[in-house]
Order: sequence, then C-alpha cells, then structure tokens
Amino acid sequence: MPNPFQPLQQTLRTLVENAVILPATGQAMEDQAIPDLEEVYDQRTGGAGQVQSIFEAPNRRLYRKVEPIPRSKQHVFRYFLDGSVRTYFIGTVIEHDRSSPVQIAQVGAAAVRREDNGRLRIAKVRRKLLLLLDKSNLSDMLWNSLERTVSLTTGLELVDTSKNDGYLEAIRVEEHRSRGAHKANWKMREVEIALACELSRTAEEWLVLDGGLGNEYVDWEGQPLIGVAKSFRRDVQFHLGTGPRAQTLTLYALLASLEVGHRTCVFPRWPGESREGKVVFWYVRIRPQRGLDYPLMGVVKVEMPNPSQKPVDSELVDWISGALVAERAVTPYGKDSRWHAHLYPIYIAETVIKSHFYSPQVLKAAIRWPERRE
Amino acid sequence: MTDRERLENRVIGRASATERDPNSADRFAFWIRPGEKVNPFDIVAAEHFDGSWTYGLVTNIRHVTDAANHLANFISNDFGESVDEPNTPRQGTNVAEVTVLDNDQDIFMPVQSEARVYFADEHGVHVALGIDTMKEKEERTGMKIRVPAGIIRMSNGTEVVAYLDVEYVLGPEAAHVNVSGISGLATKTSYVMFLIQSILQTVGDSSIATILLNVKYDDLLHIHEPGTLSEEERRMYERMGLRPDPFPEDRVHYLLPWGKHTQVTSRPNVFIPEGEPIPPHKVYAYDLRSTVDKLDLLFSHVPDPWDTLSALIGEITNGIQNNEPKWRHIRTWGDLLSQEPLVKQGVPQKVGNVAASSVGRFLRILRRVVETRQSGIFVPNLSTQMTTITRELSYIRGGHVYVVDIARLTDEEQTLVFGDILRTIYGLYSGELLLEDEEAELPEKAIIFVDELNKYAPARGEASRSPILEQVLDISERGRSFGIVLFSAQQFLSAVHPRVTGNAATKVLGRTDSVELSDSAYRFLDPDIKMHLTRLEKGELILSHPIYRQPVKIHFPRPPFRQGRARA
Repeated sequence: MPNPFQPLQQTLRTLVENAVILPATGQAMEDQAIPDLEEVYDQRTGGAGQVQSIFEAPNRRLYRKVEPIPRSKQHVFRYFLDGSVRTYFIGTVIEHDRSSPVQIAQVGAAAVRREDNGRLRIAKVRRKLLLLLDKSNLSDMLWNSLERTVSLTTGLELVDTSKNDGYLEAIRVEEHRSRGAHKANWKMREVEIALACELSRTAEEWLVLDGGLGNEYVDWEGQPLIGVAKSFRRDVQFHLGTGPRAQTLTLYALLASLEVGHRTCVFPRWPGESREGKVVFWYVRIRPQRGLDYPLMGVVKVEMPNPSQKPVDSELVDWISGALVAERAVTPYGKDSRWHAHLYPIYIAETVIKSHFYSPQVLKAAIRWPERRE
Repeated sequence: MTDRERLENRVIGRASATERDPNSADRFAFWIRPGEKVNPFDIVAAEHFDGSWTYGLVTNIRHVTDAANHLANFISNDFGESVDEPNTPRQGTNVAEVTVLDNDQDIFMPVQSEARVYFADEHGVHVALGIDTMKEKEERTGMKIRVPAGIIRMSNGTEVVAYLDVEYVLGPEAAHVNVSGISGLATKTSYVMFLIQSILQTVGDSSIATILLNVKYDDLLHIHEPGTLSEEERRMYERMGLRPDPFPEDRVHYLLPWGKHTQVTSRPNVFIPEGEPIPPHKVYAYDLRSTVDKLDLLFSHVPDPWDTLSALIGEITNGIQNNEPKWRHIRTWGDLLSQEPLVKQGVPQKVGNVAASSVGRFLRILRRVVETRQSGIFVPNLSTQMTTITRELSYIRGGHVYVVDIARLTDEEQTLVFGDILRTIYGLYSGELLLEDEEAELPEKAIIFVDELNKYAPARGEASRSPILEQVLDISERGRSFGIVLFSAQQFLSAVHPRVTGNAATKVLGRTDSVELSDSAYRFLDPDIKMHLTRLEKGELILSHPIYRQPVKIHFPRPPFRQGRARA
C-alpha cells in the first residue's frame, strides 16, 4: 500500500524549507480535547442555568410515563449521525522568536440509515485532513506559501488555530496545542452539520444527532431531528411552580426521581433571552437505575429545534421519548464507558467514521518530516 | 447485467485480516455476505496477486459481533428481562476460516485483506485439490489415472467429481485404502464396493483381481444381482461417468465355508436363509494336511511370550510337511490331537524341547478350535465337494472377483481364512507359489478387502504381535511393490495397528464419536474438521488422499448390486 500521507509531504517540505522545525519526540503524538467537551459546551452555550418554565402543552407534570415505540410498531428514527476526530502533534515551527505547534487532524462524520428490518447501512461519510497552525505566530510569507501548497493537495485543509470558533469562544482555551485540538473538534462539528444538511430524507424519517444542538441548530428548517446527549451540564436549577407548590430542584434531584421509561417535562434553552425556546430540551431515562452506579447514568438529554418558540405539543414529546426508550437495546456495554446513555446506532455511526480513519500506527509511521535541502 | 455485475453478484464475501487474526500463507478468513450460505468443506476462491486465484477449504465458520462479552448481550436485553427483537440488531457477521489449498500461479503470499471471495467452480475445485495434475498426467502418459471417488457438493449447489490418482491407490506411488466410522450407517462397506467398481470400470477391468471377505450376513453374497437405486443415485453414477451395473455374473466367484450340516443339507454355512437360492459357489474347508503350514494362524489370539507354542507349531509343521517317520501316520485333526508324538495313552508328551505341559496347552486350545467349538470348516479329509482357499486363489484372474464368506465362522477360523488369503496372494506375487494354470498370467494388481481389520491387526493387546498381524504388516508395507493392495475397514481407526493405517495412503472417514477422535490416530486432521466427523450423515464421508492438500467431504451412491439381508 502506498503511503496515504504522501500528498502531505509537499506541505511539510514548505515548512521545512521556510522555517526551523522541532519535530515531535519520536513520532506524531495524539492530542485530545478535554474529555467532557460536550458537557462544557452545553454549559457555555445553554444560557442561564436557572430554568423557570415548562415549555410544553398541555402537560404540566414534572414526569411523564411514555410507552416504548419499537421499530416494529412505528419506525421513527431512520438516520443516526456522529462525528469523530483524531489530532496529532507532529512538531513545532519556529520563526525567529515566534513559534507554533504543527498538528495534523483527521476529522469526519458518518450517517447510518436503519432499514425496515433493523439492519444499518452507511448513508453518507465525509472526512478531511487538517493541518493546524497558529497563523498569528507565523510570517505572512510562510502562511501564504503553505496556503499555496495546501491548495494543490486534495482533501487537505489549512486551519488557523488563532481564530476563535464555537468551542474556543465558549471554552476560552489559551494553550496553543489545546487550541489546535479544540479547533479540530469544531471542524468535526462543521462536518457533522454539513452532513446533516446533505442527508436526503422525508419528514417521517427522523435524524438523531450525537450530542447537544449547541447554537448551530437554532434556526433549523430542515427535516425533523433531535440531538441526544450522553454528557450534559449539571449546574442547571429548576424553579418550577408558584405559591405553596413552588419547588426548586437541582439536576441531580430531578433525575434521581426519574423512573425508567419516563421523561421529564420540556424546558426551554436560553431562559430569559429573546431566543428562549428556540431549542427545547428534556430528559428521558432509558435504563433502570438498578444496576447503574449513579442517578445520572441511564439518562439522555434530548434537544429539539423549535424555531416557532411556541410550547411544544406534549404528545409529540411523548412519541419521541417513547421511540427513544425503545432504542435502549442493544448497547455497546464493554466497548464504551458511556454505554448506559449511548444509542447503539450512534455508536455504529461513530465506529463507521473511525473505521474510515487511518490508524494511529499508520499515521505515526507515515508522517515524517522531509530532510532540509542545504 | 454486465459481466462485471455478474461477477460481483457471485462474490460471497471479502477476505479479512486483523491485528489479532492475520492471514497467513496457510490460512485466511473472510466475512460472508449477508444472505450467502457457506458450510465447512466448501471450497472457495479468493482473488490474489497478478490475477491469480488462491483456493481454500472452509474449515469453520464463526459468528462475530461487537459485543465485548456475553454480559453485554445480557445487559442489552434490559438486564435479561426483554426477549423482544431489539430496535437495532447487534452488528455481527459470519466469518469463515479457510485453509489454503493452492494458488493457480504458485503465489503463496497471504490472501490480502478485502480480496473478493467466490465459491470455486469445478475447474477451481480440481486445481485446489490437485486433480488437474492427474488430467495432465493422463494426457502426458496416455494412461487412465483418475478414479471417481465421489461427489463434492458445495453450498451453492455446485457438484464436482472427486477423483483419486490410481497410482496412489494401487501403486506404485502409494497404495491401500482404509475406511473408518461407526457401524450402523451402512457406509463403510458400501463405499469400498463403490470404489472397487469405480476402479474396475475406469482403470482396469481385466488387470485387477479382487478378493472380498464377507464378514456380515450375506452382504456381499449377491454382488452379481442388480440392486435398487434411486433416481438421484443413478444421476450420481452418470455424473461420475460410471455404469450402475452389478459385478458381471461370469466374473464373480463365491467361496463359501463348509458347515457341520453341509453334508446333509448340501448348503454351505452361510447367512442366506433356507429356501433362498444360493448363488453358484464352491465350498472350502480345512483338513490337517492343507492347514499344517497355517497352524500358527489358529493361535494368533493366544499369548505366547516365550515362543513355546510357535516352537511346537514349527515342530509339527516340519514333521508333517517333510513326512518325517514319527509324523507320517498323522493324517487328520483327530490323529494330531490323540496320537503320538503329541499324545500317548491320553497323556501329552514332550516334543523336541517343548515340555509336556506346553504340549498339553497346545492340545487344549487346538481341540477347542478345530473340534469342540468349530463351525464345521475343519474336516478330517477333503472330499471332492470341497476345495481350499489356496487352490481357488491359484486360479486368480484379472477382472474377476472372489468373494470369501467368513460371516458364520468363529474368530479363530476367520483369522485362519484371512491369513490363508494373505499368504496365498503374497506367495503368488512373491513367486513362492505358482498359478495352477501355467498359461495364465498373474493379474497386475490384486485388491483384498476386509472389514473389521482391528481383529487381525489390533493396535494393542496380546494379538498385537501375532502371525496374522505379521501377515497384514507384510501386505501393508511390502504389498505395494508386488501389486497387492489392501482395502480395509473398521469402526475405530485407533484400534488398528498404526503401521497398517499409516501405510494406507487413502483414508476415508465416516461418522466418528468425539472420544475416538481424541486419539492421536486422527492428528492428521485439522481440529475443526475433526469435529465435523461427529455429524456426518449416511452417504457422507471425509476423504483424505495424498494428492489432496486437505481432506474433503464427499457423497457417494450405494453400490448397484443387491446388498443382502442386512440391508433389507
């Protein structure tokens, strides 16, 4: 098999020829964004953590039992989408007193479609290779040279890590290498969104995205979708009701009483803001607490675009929740520590995109700095 | 549909190599396309370098899922409480394990991951097994080499004739065929008879003589009478290019044993019920004079650690054969048992260096064998109605079949008859004996078929060093060079002397139980293939042949003759 990263060599040569390179010790080293990026992003983009209203009608109860809706009864969720990223630090480029980490990232997303018989097939896969550098620490001349060589290489994108994006703004990362890793994650999210837009489906074919919707689906006008988050902010407080029946609940208290096959009522994101309720969320317990360690385990947070900002129909929420409860079998137990809140088709979408990446062994062995010509 | 699409439609999967389960020059794995059915013993073809094909034998099929452990599946079903079909069935695939048989361009690099895999077609199966080389040899030498040995049936419905190389069945390259398998499936004898007919019809109906020992009922006493075959069996014969005909009546010779009542009833001692006609035959018997050089065979089952009995037998044989004065008056079994020099006034006597007590032991055993518990074949003198095995086999002719019935004989008598046959044939082919007809020529090959070989050549026990075993070993190890070929059968391969089974170049295995399979005699089989032996059906056998790189599963039709009462 030829070296799959051969096209990258010309770009690396541009760096070697125009600056001093300190290669990473040994070979490429994997860089990771902080593990609970999803949770932090939810926290930073979800607005105030003080929820005071129920955003559905006619239900006003805190918990609602839902009937599981298996595929055999009604096939609600047809598409499942997830992205993945692998970022590697391959060296440091130095120009006089300025320097920037050089990072390579494989990013991509995959959508799978579930057929009537339950079998999954790949609906779409998108992936790209990123070269990440801090432009603010490089000369224009070097950056322009890099842009030129990158433009000649199909599937390679040059990314400036000094520019803020959704994650970097929300999380305020300063450290250079960490910024690169987060940047790559954001690029993955962009690929996910692009893929969600590209999927051709009908109004009956719901799409399930992995994770929360963040700010990116606020004005979603495409076919119906939900985001299902395994990790979510835990600092929310719920001030519900008025008068003597008013109560304040932490998320832990709310979910501790949530029984399996039940959902909570629907809450708006961005409470108190003009965009309140453009995305709504609620929680569903898909697994019994029995056998799980912690009250938050076995619960998923469901987010749904609601551009009209009107309270959501409770029946619709029951229907979606029922279909989600039916998704609890089978699980990736033993393969993913978040198995208790993982939807298996999402896990498969993740497996699909990861299987399209080159393995760390291949990447580490294939990416070598060219010799500088004297 | 384009050719490309047609080809892709035939793809049954793609090769798969992983970190933990890499492909090698000997083995590869492939996942099976959903909807395709593959079974162990199917022969598959994988695309390989330079447009070549690597052929392999499917030895096992595993179902692999992404469940980390069984607990994951338990938890997936709501901690064991749900038995409904899951919304998304767990991802899984069937993975076939394949043993490499051949590459048509001799490229033995491992099959590469993602290589497309197909069912092999007839040509592919022949290349895979090495049968194509037999055809080349036939074209080169102008001689018939290929012997149909059954039909390989694959899961996609492809049927391929499995051929044996006659030079590895009858010599000179290798020889002998051994069939094992539990009894009751009517498979072992049927297969040997089918194979013998196949050999006679394809490579030599005039150059090969066949001697069959009938050991059960009248199984082989009607081989000249047509049997009933199903349409499917007739089709199988046609597919293999064979005629479903019984053995020609004028070429079958039945040698049946004299019995205690034969004198009165004129019926030999056989399992054919009274009232039913007995095919044209000759009756054989043993008097002392014609048996004296085979006395040792009667004592094959008797422990003789100090060679006392064999010394005495030597004395007797020499004495009678050389017509020594003190033995001259010994004419019958009765004379030997009651007169001098062995007995005087009812008391055993010392003979040569053999003590009187040992002579007494000899007499006790011999009396039991030839008088008190005999079936009738031991007679005082041969009458004109009787013949001997040695005499009849001295008229042996190519293309003729000699059926020797021993079904109703005692164990000692059976050993004597089998030993007699082996000694006579070995004597004829080694030049010690001459054909009765000076004009006649000895057939190029003689096939001897015996069931229950473990009786004569046991792997262990007292009889594991006996005259009959020596005789069987002689045929197994040196018979090939003379043209004597042993076709044998038994229930348990492990029960037969390893030098005998080891010399059988072609081994055929029927259904066998798992305890038996744990014996070292089966170590020539791949462990996966071994387990399939426990679930073979009637009419299915595993065939191991020197030309084949791996044993294959074959189907065969019943022989086209009437199979006697045991099959009724």
